Amino acid sequence: MQFARAAPEAKELRRRAGAWLKELRGRAGLSQIQLAERLGLKYYTFVSQVENGFGRVPTESMEAWARALGVKPAVFARRLLSFYEPELHRLLFEVKE
Amino acid sequence: MTVVAFKPRLPGEGPWRAAELKQIVDGLAAPLNDGDAGGWDVGVTEVGDPQFYLLGRPPQDECLLCISRLGRLYVLEDGRGRVLFEHNSLLVLAEQARTVLRKKKSQIAARVALVWCAIRQAFEEKLDAVAIEGEELLTHVVPQLGVLA
Repeated sequence: MQFARAAPEAKELRRRAGAWLKELRGRAGLSQIQLAERLGLKYYTFVSQVENGFGRVPTESMEAWARALGVKPAVFARRLLSFYEPELHRLLFEVKE
Repeated sequence: MTVVAFKPRLPGEGPWRAAELKQIVDGLAAPLNDGDAGGWDVGVTEVGDPQFYLLGRPPQDECLLCISRLGRLYVLEDGRGRVLFEHNSLLVLAEQARTVLRKKKSQIAARVALVWCAIRQAFEEKLDAVAIEGEELLTHVVPQLGVLA
């Protein structure tokens, strides 16, 4: 049995996800504080945590992030899945029957 | 001679000071040494507020807890953006961080124990069924063997 070696690159992928989110925020013309306000967060520090590649956008708040950043939730979630769960993304969207 | 006037840094401004970092790392020495945490890292927010990330074990190295300094306030969050605690004393905050990690650990242990009990119970039920079946078989077969003998 062969297992996909997704884990060693998890850190790097999270960092790339953070950079992508930062780019989206820039395009939306929002500061970290403004995004946090739109997300209803008490502090803006979590936005920084995610953008710096240490945290993940929780699944339950992906839709709110997507809408705040002006992206379709499905597109947003699919792209984040490619960073956070690359193997699952591959199986769902890349492997042909 | 030109004298450059440096603006004195206020207590709640700029990157982590060595003393602050030491307080945090010393405060979290137990989880770091016990292997509950894999390491730590630091970063800054867009406006320069410092952040300390306590990371999980490799290879994921995901953020378990994050401490940020906002002005004179220290904020403790988990890796999902939940604010767990806020205080203006780093010592108090580090103590709280330890408590959170201890709770997490005991919750995991409780879950493992629960799963273990469920597996054991299921195994015992199956074993009981096999034993009963065996007994029933014996009660049928033994008299017949007795007749034959």
